[in-house]
This record gives sequence, structure tokens and C-alpha cells, in this order.
Amino acid sequence: MIKLDRRLILNFDWTLFILVLIISGIGLVNIYSTGFSLTDPRQTPLYIKQIQWILIGIAGMAFAFFIDYRFLSRHAYILYAISIILLLVVYMAGYATRGSQRWIAIGGFTFQPSEPVKLTIILALAKYFDHHQIGRGYHLNELFIPFLIVIIPFLFILKQPDLGTGLILFILFLSIVFFVGLDWKSLLIAAAGGLILTPIGWYFLRDYQRERILTFFSPERDPLGSGYHIIQSMIAVGSGGLFGKGFLKGSQTQLKFLPEQQTDFVFSVFAEEWGFLGGIILLIMFLFLILWGLKIMTHSKDYIGALIALGITMLIFWEAFINIGMVLGILPVVGIPLPFLSYGGSSMVVLMTAVGLLMNISVRRFILQSS
Amino acid sequence: MQKIGNRLNGYDPGQFKRKFKLLLVIVAVALSLLVMRLWYLQVIKGGELRQRSENNSVRLRKIKPIRGLIMDGNRRILADNQPSFDIVFVPNRTKDVRNVIEKIEELYTGRSLTFPSLSSLPGRVKPFVPVLLERNISMEKLALVETHALDLPGVMTEVTPVRKYLNGEMTAQIIGFTGEVSREELDRNTTDKITTGDIIGKFGIEKFLDSHLRGKSGAEQVEVNVAGKAIRSLGRIPATTGDNVVLTIDSELQETAWSAIGNRGGAVAVLDPRNGAVLALVSSPSFDPNLFNGGISGDDWETLSNDPRYPMENRSISGQYPPGSTYKIVVAAAALEEGLITPETNFYCNGTFELGNRIFRCWQAKGHGHVNLHRAIVESCDVYFYNLGKLLGVDRIAAYARAFGLGAPLGIDLPREKGGLIPTKQWKLSRLRQSWQMGETISLAIGQGFNLVTPLQLANAYATLANGGTLYRPRLVKQLESLDGHVVKVFHPEKQGVLPVRPQNIEIINRALWGVVNEKGGTGYILKRQEQDVCGKTGTAQVIGLPQDEKMRKAKRVSASFRDHALFVCYAPYGNPEIVVSVILENAGHGGSAAAPVARKVIDAYFSRKKMMQTEQPAKAQGAVANFRETPLP
Repeated sequence: MIKLDRRLILNFDWTLFILVLIISGIGLVNIYSTGFSLTDPRQTPLYIKQIQWILIGIAGMAFAFFIDYRFLSRHAYILYAISIILLLVVYMAGYATRGSQRWIAIGGFTFQPSEPVKLTIILALAKYFDHHQIGRGYHLNELFIPFLIVIIPFLFILKQPDLGTGLILFILFLSIVFFVGLDWKSLLIAAAGGLILTPIGWYFLRDYQRERILTFFSPERDPLGSGYHIIQSMIAVGSGGLFGKGFLKGSQTQLKFLPEQQTDFVFSVFAEEWGFLGGIILLIMFLFLILWGLKIMTHSKDYIGALIALGITMLIFWEAFINIGMVLGILPVVGIPLPFLSYGGSSMVVLMTAVGLLMNISVRRFILQSS
Repeated sequence: MQKIGNRLNGYDPGQFKRKFKLLLVIVAVALSLLVMRLWYLQVIKGGELRQRSENNSVRLRKIKPIRGLIMDGNRRILADNQPSFDIVFVPNRTKDVRNVIEKIEELYTGRSLTFPSLSSLPGRVKPFVPVLLERNISMEKLALVETHALDLPGVMTEVTPVRKYLNGEMTAQIIGFTGEVSREELDRNTTDKITTGDIIGKFGIEKFLDSHLRGKSGAEQVEVNVAGKAIRSLGRIPATTGDNVVLTIDSELQETAWSAIGNRGGAVAVLDPRNGAVLALVSSPSFDPNLFNGGISGDDWETLSNDPRYPMENRSISGQYPPGSTYKIVVAAAALEEGLITPETNFYCNGTFELGNRIFRCWQAKGHGHVNLHRAIVESCDVYFYNLGKLLGVDRIAAYARAFGLGAPLGIDLPREKGGLIPTKQWKLSRLRQSWQMGETISLAIGQGFNLVTPLQLANAYATLANGGTLYRPRLVKQLESLDGHVVKVFHPEKQGVLPVRPQNIEIINRALWGVVNEKGGTGYILKRQEQDVCGKTGTAQVIGLPQDEKMRKAKRVSASFRDHALFVCYAPYGNPEIVVSVILENAGHGGSAAAPVARKVIDAYFSRKKMMQTEQPAKAQGAVANFRETPLP
């Protein structure tokens, strides 16, 4: 299982590693800024906690790197099952804060099982499609099991309720299905079904979730809630201007006008203090990260590796796009963290582990090639 | 094929390339969208938005909703709202709360007013998050603060609606009270939109129907000037007023029962046996719910929660008492229905009943002689029921007791309802790890021993007899109405079960209960009315077991807290009952002499008002008849 191969070190993907460290570093500086003023001195500052999370994340990354990903993918269904059981635990005995039940407490930590699910469904879907290669586009009925793989955690997460994470799972599913191929007729049926199901899905949404979507179209609907978030966030971003107000100088941030500023709205803090220039640099780094992930996918030596790489890259891409789009007011407010920048242990550890898996695939193409 | 990279393109290299390219396009388009938007916000609109951020001018203000009213069945208002003025401090330029408080105190001492000591000042203040300094201030203070507004930067007065309970103590146990949501309640809450500072129901109906009564907060985005005063509204969602609650309670009966109890400890439950509507629910001693308006003071809370008479306990639904002789109807119904006795079955009462070497006494020391079921109920002969208890056994009695709705909460629309206790062999074994003794069944047959009932359960059990065998859920809420009077929800009668007793047996018991009040020698003879329409049963519940020797029994009567509880349950009119009343008076002695007069006042009040209404109505009724005559017969 673990063979400490010289080639593992020789062909280590330094680019990916350093890129992720830089982005996380930017996130750290940013979180330092959000906690700079008016925090309770008795509590551990958030940036210290975030450093701890990054270190744990790097441990997860090492773990995912050294274990051959084909070993992991052989046990993809078991990993998937474990993550579903964790979701079940949340459902039964989860820890609720302010209206949603997303966490379980282990020791002193609280942990959000909906985060690892993102990774385990990528593994499970990859394994399924690897096993069922048919050489043509899939028909809808052939997608029943993959659909089941996604819908089970999806429903649990929707129940918590956590619209954002549910959405991400669904988009991941669509991205992977898009890539493995759907035949034309099925595509049309699926599109028609989607149109019909949308109003039904609307019915199942919680009131506050509906309100958020409606608020997206007219922010003044809810000046107390998400409308306020969007407006304050856009003021923060816009007031940053071309060069930003400077580190620790964002007035929107420092005066706590921004809600959720360490977590979902962390990008507005960054944009306020570092301006358009900083924003562009960050976006370029994300672009580079995504392209690098896609490169790893195309160079993977086997189908399953390629699918895992695709899933992880798409996870980072969609989360970044939806989060920043939301902060900039072009997408509805759904609770999705910004990869490597938002404060939060579960998300950081899972993403780092996912990157470890990417490196794993990246490096093993050399090993597999020669074996 | 392998040259392109991997087997992803296993079936069609062209398609793989196309998809890969499409993916790149999607990523490129998405990221350029973000860049464009960033450019728009930061460069094109940057100047304008920067100015807005520097003014820090947009503020969110919560608009508190008005709570729904609570009314009785005749739409008399029981819980109303009135304006209250609070002093709040909004930290902006000045953030020093202590300094501001000192200034206010200075103002106050000039007029010999006092500022309450704040127990919980927040350790740190957030800019623009209002801090409540003083609640419910007097007009004098209001005028003082308003006229010195310029010397008090950031200090404002706010109007908030607070509750006014018009009947005070009389309905405190039912209506309950409200208060600011606590931290624990906020954390526990997962469904409702409650935020810090909201007023929620804490007790009684206020708590039980809180989600309907509370209404919904509104919000307003306001632009404020440097002093923090609002200058312009940018958008506003008005608050939604909560629904009005109409109770089944009849305030007049409530009043009658409340004043009849006086300052004695006890409870009264009044039901309509035809549908389970609760007409009155009194618990004494009580408390003043208006103390809680605008936050109860520490001293008041201390006094209230440490009162040895527990004024905050609603005895009518959570006081659990031994039922005493009122329990005999359960035993009688069980024995009749199980075919162990007929109405003619005789037992001889010489004042005692022996089981092994234990002697059980009848309350009538000289004995009742030969008694059948009717006489046994009328005169409440204990020995007769000792015999039935022996024949039935504890578990059969328990089964019937449960059918009467005893031993479990009835599900009235109030929090903290208790279920009482109906013991079985199994219960004693698992709970006390002891096997059941026959002697315990004997005591149980006259309502002493382990069994406990609430006053509401007692009334409800007799209501099932009165209506011929239907067990209803007692209802306190008639309907919910919106602000403009539209009915939002109606609460209909809910049948919970049917008594497993044949109509002729129910009639035998009802007849005997009529005898209790209307026949010579009946223990409830005091209640006899001219109409001869009341049926009832007395009960005397021992607080401690009846001592075997005479001296102790005398000693017992002296100490007040060991004195027996007096019980009385009755319904009227016989044949077609409309009202059931159960009364329990703590440590008041005998049921017939102490509790029955309270029930009598309630019954009298009910029928005298009914009579009054009937004398008012005939005019209308005659008109209807006249109209009817004019229409030609077919």
C-alpha cells in the first residue's frame, strides 16, 4: 500500500503544493485582518486557529499523497458509506447553531461531515464510472446508481438545512456526468425533467432558502437578512477601488459591517483591503490552480485517476466561482465557503486532502508509466 | 490512443478533446465574469461606493412586532399591549457606556430619581448595536432624557409594546407571561426566526402559542447622520402583528371560582362535557404576571421563586393529588362492567374491613349496614369499595382508570401538564422493586395510596360519565384570528376515546351521583338546588396515611399541612349536562363541607347567567315563530 518510492519524491508536484500554500497564506493574512479589531482578547484569535487547521490539512494532504490513489479508489464505496454514516450522526445527534444542524462535536472540535462528503462522492462516482465504461454516451437509466450516490447525501444535507453544500454536490455530479458523456436523447430528457422538477424543488426548500433566492433578484426584499449582506458586501468590495484601502484599513471590515466576514464573505474583506489589483491576482491564482488540476487530469495514466482529478478540480472551481459571484452580487447568497480562504476547519482539511490526492495522481503517472 | 494521455478518451478521442475545450471555455467565461464584475464595482462604481462606506451611513433597524391579543370565549381581552419607553444607547462616536450612564444618573439625582443598577453590561460594545440601558421608564424620566438629548450623544428613547394582563393573578396560570429571549432559548431554537432582544412567551398560553402570538419582526434600512439619528429610510418591511387567540375560558366563571377559593391553596377546573372546552381553570395561590412586563426585577423573582406555596405552579394541570372517594366511580364502573356485581349486590358495612391482620376503616365509624351500589356511592361507604377492590385487583382498576383519562397527560393546550399516576403491579415492581400487596389494592379502591390525579383529569373523567362515555381532549383554545378578524384556525372538539362501559352501567353511576347531592344522607347534600339537577361526588384525600390508633388520628387533625385535601366533582343538569366542575382545596378537610360550596358558587353562577340570557331571548324567539306562521303550509 505505502511504498516509499524514490520517484514519489523526485516527481513531487512542487508547483501545486506551493500554489496552495500561497493561496492559504493569503487567506491567513486576510483572516488576521478580520479579527484585528474588537475581538475578545480572552479567546484564541481566529488566525491562530486557522494556522492549526492548515497544519492539520497538510497532514491530510500527506496522507492522501502517500497512499496510492488506486488503493483509495478500491475502497471508495466504504469511504463513501462512512461519510454517509457521519451525516446520519449529524441528523440524529448533531450540534445545531442558529437554525441549522450541521456539526458534530468530537472532543473540543466541531466538525462538519458535509465537507468530506464532497470528496467521497467524487471517489464513489469515479469508481462507478470506471467500472461501467460502455464506450458510448450513458442513457438516463444507466445513471440511476450514480444519481443515488449523490441524492442520499444531498437529501441529508438539504435537511440540515444547508442549501449551498447540497448545490455543490449536485453540480459536481453534473460536471462528472457531463464529462463521462450522456447520449443526446437522455440529455434532452434530463433538461426537460430539470425544468419540470425546478418548481417541485422550490416546494421543498425552506422558507429562508426561498427568501434568499428571491432576495437575490431583489435585495430590498429582505433588508434584515441576505439583502443586507449583499449590499454591505458590495459596498465593501466597491470601496476598495483599484488599489484597495490597505491591510487592516478596510473600514467596512474593521467596523464589522460585513456579516460572516471570516467565512462566506471573506472575499469582500480581501477586495476591500487589496482592491481590484489584489482581486485579479487572487483570481489568476485560482485560474492557475484549476488549469493545473485539469492538466493533471489529462496526464493521468488511468481513467479513474482522471475522473478523480476532474472532480476535485471542479469542486475547487465551482466553490470559488459561486462564492465570489455571491460576494459580488451576481449569484444568490448560498452558504458556500471560498476554498483555502474562508475560515473553517472542515473545509480546509478536506480541500487540503483533496489537493494531496491531486498530487498523488500527478506523481503516479511517472510511476505507473514505468511499471 | 494512449499518446493523448489516458483512457478517458477510450471511445472517441475527438469527443474528449471537445469536452476538454468546452470545460476550459466554461472556466474562462466564469472567471472573466468575475473580473468584469470586480472591475464594475471597484473601478466604475468605486468612487461612489467608497463614499458610502466612509459615511458608514446605512444602518439596519429592527421593527418589533406587536403581539396578538388573548381573549376569553366572550371576546373579553385578557392580555393586551401598552406602550413602554426604553432608554437605549447606540455607540458611535462615543463608545463609553459607563460615562453615558453617569451622565444620566446625574440628571436623575437632580430630580431625586434613581437609575437601576445594570447587572449585565456588555463587556464590549459593537458600533451601532444598541445597548438597552433602562426599560419601561416613567413619563418624568422620558421627558428628562428627551430634553437633554444634546448632552447625551447616542442616547435615544424607544417605544416598545409590552403586555398588560387585565385580570392579573386570576388568569396568570393560564395566560402566563412573556420575557426577553434568553441565550439558552436562542441556542435551543432551531426553527423560528428569533434573535437577541426578541420578546417571547415564557409561560402558559403565551408560551404554548408563542409562534402564533409573536408575529414577525420587520426591518428597515435607514441612512443615519453622524450622531446616529435616522435621516432617511431606504427600504422597509413592516412588522407583522401576531394572531389573536380566543380561548374557551369564560371570564365570569373564572372570576367566580377564583374568588370562591379565596386565599386557600387549591384548584378548580370547569369543563363543558359536550366537547371538552375548558370554561375555567383556577390555581391558587397565584402571582401577578404584570411583574414580568418589561423584565422582572431580581428581588421580585427571588420572592416569587422561593415562595413555599409555589404560586407559579398551575395546580389545575400540574398539581397531583390523591383522588380520595372521587375515585370510587372508576371502581364502580369496573366492577359493574366486569360483571362482578349487579346494582343489587349487597355488602355489609360494620365500619371496618379486615384483610389478614390489617383493619381498614370506613369513614363512618359506626358503619352503614347493608349497602348496595347506589347507597354506597351516595353515602360514600368505604367498606363497600374495599370489597370491590378485593374482587377487581389492582390491574383491572388501572385499566378502567386509564380509560377515564387518568394516569397520563390529557394534552391540554398548556405547557407543563402532569399525568398523575395510576399504579399497576408492573409499575411497582419496576419502579420501587417491590411486589404489590393486596392491602394496597384495598386502599386504592377508595382513592388512597399511590394513585394521583390532577384537578383537570378529575373534571375530565366525570365529563366522560356526564356525556355518556366519550373522552374528549380538554381544549383551552377556541380559535386563532388574524389582526383583521379573519379566522386563521379553529380548534374543534377532539375525541380521544370511548369509555368501555355500557350505557346502562353509566346510567346507574350517574343516578347514584345524582343521589349524592339530592338524596337524604348523601355526602353532597349541601349542593342540592331547587331544580334538583346537580350530580356530584365528594372526596377527602389523606395527605398522610390514616394512623391505626385513635390518639394519632386526633393529633393529625391539628397540624395544618397534614390535614386532608378536600375534593368535590360535580356536573349539571342531570340528564343533559353542560358543565362539570372539579374542586380541590389543599389541607381544607372534608370534601362535602369545604370543596362543595366552591363548586356550588360556580354552578350557580353558570345557571343564573343562563337564565338571564334566556329571559332576554324570548322576544327574538317569538318573532321567529310569528314569521314561521305567516309562511303557508304546504
